[in-house]
Amino acid sequence: MWASGAISDEDKLDRAETGKVLRRSLHFAEPYRRTIYWAVGLVCVSTAATVAGPVFVKFGLDHGIGESSARALNIAVVAYLVTVAIGYVVGRLQYLAINRAGEGFLRDLRIAVFDRLQAQSMAFFDRNKAGVLVSRMTADIESMGELIQWGLLQFVAAGLLLVMTIILMAVMSWQLTLMVLLFVAPVLGFASVRFQRQSNAAYLDVRERVGTNLGNLQEGITGVRVIQAYGREAEQHRRFVSSNRALYASHLRSVRVSTWYFGLVEWAGITSIALVIGVGGFLVHHGSVDFGTVAAFVLLLANLFEPVQQLSQLYNTVQSAAASLHKLYGLMDAEPDVAEHPRPVELPAEGELVAHGVTFTYDGTERPALHDVSISVRPGERLALVGPTGAGKSTLAKLLSRLYDPTSGHVSYGDVDVRLVSLASLRQRVVVVPQEGFLFGGTIRDNIRIARPGATDAEVADALEAIGVLERFEEFAEGLDTEVRERGSRLSAGERQLVSLARAALVDPAVLVLDEATSNLDPGTEAIVERALERLMEGRAVIVVAHRLSTVRRADRIGVIDHARLVELGTHDELLAQGGRYAALAEAWARSQPTV
Amino acid sequence: MLAEQKGGLIAGMVVGLLWSASKVTVPKLTSLAVDRAILGDGSLVFWSSLIGVMAVVAGTFTAWRRWFAFRESRLTETKLREQLFAHIMRLHVAYHDHTQTGQLMSRASSDLLQIQGFVVMIPITASNLAMVSAIVVILFVQQPLLALVALAPLPFLNVLATRFSRRIHPAVLAVQQEQAQLATVVEESVSGVRVIKGFGAHEVTAARLRTEADDIRNVSVQAAKVRSAFLPALDLLPNLGLLAVLALGGHMVLDGDMSRGQMLEFMQYIGLLIFPLRNLGMTVAFGQRAAAALLRVDEVLSTAPAVADAASPRTLPGDAPVGAVEFDHVSFGYSADAPVLRDFHLSIPPGASVAVVGATGGGKSTVARLLIRFYDVTEGVIRVDGVDIRDLRLSELRREVSVVFEDTFLFHDSVGANVAFARPDASAADVEAAARLSGAHDFIASLPEGYDTVIGERGYSLSGGQRQRIALARAILANPRVLILDDATSAVDPSKEHEIREAMRTVMDGRTTIVIAHRPGTIALADTVVLLDEGGVAATGTHDELLATNERYREVLAALMDDDDIDAEVSG
Ligand SMILES: Nc1ncnc2c1ncn2[C@@H]1O[C@H](COP(=O)(O)OP(=O)(O)OP(=O)(O)O)[C@@H](O)[C@H]1O
Ligand SMILES: Nc1ncnc2c1ncn2[C@@H]1O[C@H](COP(=O)(O)OP(=O)(O)OP(=O)(O)O)[C@@H](O)[C@H]1O
Ligand SMILES: [Mg+2]
Ligand SMILES: [Mg+2]
Repeated sequence: MWASGAISDEDKLDRAETGKVLRRSLHFAEPYRRTIYWAVGLVCVSTAATVAGPVFVKFGLDHGIGESSARALNIAVVAYLVTVAIGYVVGRLQYLAINRAGEGFLRDLRIAVFDRLQAQSMAFFDRNKAGVLVSRMTADIESMGELIQWGLLQFVAAGLLLVMTIILMAVMSWQLTLMVLLFVAPVLGFASVRFQRQSNAAYLDVRERVGTNLGNLQEGITGVRVIQAYGREAEQHRRFVSSNRALYASHLRSVRVSTWYFGLVEWAGITSIALVIGVGGFLVHHGSVDFGTVAAFVLLLANLFEPVQQLSQLYNTVQSAAASLHKLYGLMDAEPDVAEHPRPVELPAEGELVAHGVTFTYDGTERPALHDVSISVRPGERLALVGPTGAGKSTLAKLLSRLYDPTSGHVSYGDVDVRLVSLASLRQRVVVVPQEGFLFGGTIRDNIRIARPGATDAEVADALEAIGVLERFEEFAEGLDTEVRERGSRLSAGERQLVSLARAALVDPAVLVLDEATSNLDPGTEAIVERALERLMEGRAVIVVAHRLSTVRRADRIGVIDHARLVELGTHDELLAQGGRYAALAEAWARSQPTV
Repeated sequence: MLAEQKGGLIAGMVVGLLWSASKVTVPKLTSLAVDRAILGDGSLVFWSSLIGVMAVVAGTFTAWRRWFAFRESRLTETKLREQLFAHIMRLHVAYHDHTQTGQLMSRASSDLLQIQGFVVMIPITASNLAMVSAIVVILFVQQPLLALVALAPLPFLNVLATRFSRRIHPAVLAVQQEQAQLATVVEESVSGVRVIKGFGAHEVTAARLRTEADDIRNVSVQAAKVRSAFLPALDLLPNLGLLAVLALGGHMVLDGDMSRGQMLEFMQYIGLLIFPLRNLGMTVAFGQRAAAALLRVDEVLSTAPAVADAASPRTLPGDAPVGAVEFDHVSFGYSADAPVLRDFHLSIPPGASVAVVGATGGGKSTVARLLIRFYDVTEGVIRVDGVDIRDLRLSELRREVSVVFEDTFLFHDSVGANVAFARPDASAADVEAAARLSGAHDFIASLPEGYDTVIGERGYSLSGGQRQRIALARAILANPRVLILDDATSAVDPSKEHEIREAMRTVMDGRTTIVIAHRPGTIALADTVVLLDEGGVAATGTHDELLATNERYREVLAALMDDDDIDAEVSG
C-alpha cells in the first residue's frame, strides 16, 4: 500500500555515483555495522526456509507417496515443520535487527542533514522554497523509513527467493526449467522493463502534482484570513479543485500502468502452469521426470512470479531512495556560501564595524540592491539608516551582520574581515532583530529564550523588565507561560515586536541591529523601549533602521540610503544644514508633528 | 460521499466476483489435468489449453479489478479533499487561531491517504472473500476431514491479524505524531531562519530536532517490535495448513483414499488462500486506521463555522450615502475571562474618516476584526448602514468592508494577481491605477517582469514597505464602502508619506475609512480621532484637540514626554 518511488532523468545515478552513495551510506551506517551483518544473515536463512518448503513437499510426494513409503513421508513432514519453525524465529529476529539499524541510521541522517541545513546562508533560503526543504527532511526521509520497514527486506528476500527458486528448479529438472524460463524470461523481462519505465514516469508526474497540490493547500490554510477578508473562498476553492483534479488524473494514469502489468503477470503465471502441465505431462509419459517434480514446479511457480512482481515494484523505490540519499548527501556536501573560514578567529573584543565599498545583488535579480556603500559604526555610537521603501536599508543591515556576503567590497569588525571570524562568535556578538519578526509556537518565555538557551526564568523576566514591558505580559492569565500559537497569532502586532525586542535584551551583543523593530509600537511604548535599549547598549554600537523622526533624531549619525546608494551621512544637524534629502524628510516630519 | 460512487463500486464488485471465479477454476483444472492427462490417458494438449484460456480470463479480470478499485478510491480521496478544503476556507477565524496549519495539512493529506488505502480494499476484499468461501466449499465437498485439518489454522490467521492491527495502530499513530512534531521544528526553523540567524540560535533548534529525531527512532523501533511479534506468525500459520495436507493427505493418498491430482489441487488451494486471508487481517487493520482517520477528518467537517450567514440574510441598502458604521455598546474578549473591548461605542457617518489611536495591545486590530466578523461580538451590535452585520451575508459584508492587515500576507503568485486578489477579473488598467494610488506602481514597473513578476513565498523577496504597498493596492482595488487601514503604512517612509497622503485622500474621498495609526502624519488623514483605551472610547476629537486636552493621548503618542520623563518611567 505504500507509494512506490521514482526518479527523474536528472536524478538518475550512474553506476559510479550509485557506488558512491552506497559507500557513503555504509560509512554513515558504521555504528550499526554489526546489526546489519546480523540482519543480512537472518534474511538469507529465512529465505532459504521459504524455498525449502516445496522441496520437502516434493520429497514427500516422490519418496513418500511415489514409493509408498510412510517413513519418507513422515521425514518430509517433520523436516517441513522444522523449517517452518526456523522461518518463524528467524523472521522475528530479522525484523528487529533491520529496524534497529535502519531507524538508527535515519535518526543520524536527520540530525546531520538538519545541522547542515542550518549552516546554509540566507541566500540559500531565498533560493529554496521552504516547502521543498521541509519535505526533504520529512517526506524524503520518511519514504526511506518505509523502505526500511518493508522494502529492503522484501527486496533482498525477493531477489534471493528468485535465484534460489531457479536453482532449485534447475536441479529438479533442467528440461522443465529451460521451458519455463524460455517462456517467462522474455515475457516478464519485457513487461517489467516497460512497466518500470512507465511507472517511473507516471510516479514522477504524481509526485510533482502532489507537491503543487500540497503547496496550494498550505497557502490556502495559512492565508485563510486574507482569503476570508476578501471573500475569495469560492475562487480559492475553484483553484484548489483544478490542481486536485490534475492530481487525480495523474493518479489514474499511474494506476493504468500498473493495471496492465498486473494483468499480464497474472496471465503469464497461469499460462506457465498450463505449460508445466502440458510439457511436464509429456515428459512424465516419457519417463524423463517424475510426477512429484511436476507438482513441485506448479507450486514453485508462485515463488517465481511473486518476487518478480515485487522486484519490479520495488526497483523504482530503491532507486528513488538512492536518489533521495544522493540529494541529501548533496545537501550535506553543499558548502554554505556564507561559510566559516577554515581557521576562524574570534571576533575582536571591541572595534569599529565598517563596510568597505560593499555592493550586493540578490540571486535572480539584476540590479544591485546596494551599490558601493561605505559606512562605519563605532562602539557606543548609534547609527540610523533612513530612506525610501526598497532603497536597501534592510539589505545593508543584513550585510553588516553577515547574513549575506557582499558581491564586492567587504565588512570588517575591529579591522578583521568578518569572513575570517567564527560564525558562532559573530552571531553572538552581532545580533539582528529582523524586520520580519518571527515567533515560534510555544510560550512567550520559550520565544525569548531562543536568544540565549541557558537563560533562567528570572533572566527572561529581567529582559522584559529591562525594556520596561514586563508588567503587560504578566497581566495575561498565564503570564509568560502564555502560548503564543503559530507565528505568535495570540499576540497583537506590537506585543510580538516586544517579544522580539526582549530577545535582544537577553543577550549582550557588541553590535545590535534593529530593522524597524519598533514600527508597530505606539510611540509612547516605543520611546520607553528605545530609551531602555539605549541604556542597555551603552558603549556598544547600535544600528537602527527606522521611519520615525523620534527614533532617527536620537541617533549620533544618520545615513540616508536611496536607490541602493548611501547618499548622505552625518549628524542630524549637519544633514539639516546640508539642505539635502534628509532636510526635506525632516521638514515633512516636522509638518506632521504634534504642535504642542 | 460513497453513495455517488455506487456505480463504480458495484462494477468493481462484479469484476471482482468474476475474478475470484476464474482464480478458483485454475487449481480445479490443474487437478483434472493431472489426474486425466498426466496420470490418466486424456489429451494433454486439450487440458493445458483449457488452463491457458483460463489464464487469459484471470489476467483480464485481475487488471479490471485493480483498475476499478483504485479509480474509485482515488475519486473518494479527491472529493473528500475538496470538501475538506472548502470547509476549512469557511471555518471561523477563532478555529484557525487554535488549530495548527500542520494539523489541517495532515487531515487533508495523510489522513485522506489512509482512507483511500481502505476504500481501495473494499472491492478487493469483497472478491477475496468470495474466493475464500468458494475454496472452502470446494475443499469441504471433496474431502471434509482433510479440509477441516488444513483450514484449522486459518481462522487463527484472521484472529492474529485482527489483534495485530489493534496493537500496531497506536504504534503507527505515535510514529506519525512524532514525525509531525519533527516537521513542525523543521518548518519553523526554515521559516524563522532570519530570527535564528539574527540571534545565532542554531543550537536551540538543533537540540529540538535531536529530541524529535530520537523520539521518532524510539517509537519506530517500538512499532517494529509489534510487527516482529505478529508478521512472522502470520506467515507461519498458512504453512501449517500446507503441512497438514502433506501429512494427512499424504497418508490418504498412500491409503488410496485420494488421487495425487487432488492432493496437488488441495495444496494449490491452500496456497491461494494465504494471501486473501492475510489481506483480510490487513483490511481490518486498515479499516481501523481509516476509521480513526475518518473520525479526525469528520471532526473538522462537522465543526460548524461559528461565524456564518444568517438564515434569512438582509442586504445592505444601495442608495447613497452609504458606509455608516456603528459600534453599539460592543463588548468582546478572545476568552471569557479577558475582555478586550468593553462597552465600545462609536458611530461613524457615511463617508467620514476616523483615526483610531491606542496603546500596543489595546484592541485596535480587534475593532477591525470585529467589523468584518472574524469574530462575533459578545455584547452589543455592530451595524453597517443600519443593518446588524450578523444579518448580512458574509460575502456581502466582506465585499463592502475591506481591511489592510498589519501583517502583510502575500500569495506566491504574480504581483498583478496579488493586487487583483479581490477582483481577479479586474483589467490591467484598474490594477495599475490601484497600484499607483498605493505608491507601488513605480517599483513594480522596475521589477524584471513588471506586474507578471512572481513573488516569493509570503512575498519575502520584496522589502517590507513594498509588501505593505501591494496589500494596500489590493484593498483599494476591492473598492469597498468601508476601508480599514490597520497600521498599514508603518513601513512606508515619511518622505513618501505626503505623496501617499495625497493618494489616500483620493481613495478616502466619499468612502468611510478607519485608520489605525501611530504616526501623526497618518492620523492627520482622518477627520476625527478616537482614543481607544481600557477597551472603550476614552476620547473623541481632532488630533489637535486631543493633544491639547487629553493626557493619555499625549502619553500614547509620546507627544509631551521629554527624555527625562521617559527615563524616569523606565527606571521607575
Ligand atoms: N530576498 C530578496 N531577493 C530578491 N530581492 C530582494 C530580496 N530582499 C529584498 N530584495 C529587493 O532588494 C531591494 C532592497 O530591499 P530592502 O529590503 O533592503 O529595502 P529597504 O530599504 O529595507 O525597504 P523597506 O523600508 O521597505 O524595508 C528591494 O528592491 C527589494 O525588492
Ligand atoms: N487571537 C487572539 N486570541 C487571544 N487573544 C488575542 C488574540 N489576538 C489578540 N489578542 C489579545 O487581545 C489584545 C488586543 O489585541 P489587538 O491585536 O486588538 O491589539 P492592538 O491594539 O491592535 O495592538 P497593536 O498596536 O500592538 O497592534 C491583546 O492583549 C492581545 O494579546
Ligand atoms: Mg527593510
Ligand atoms: Mg494591531
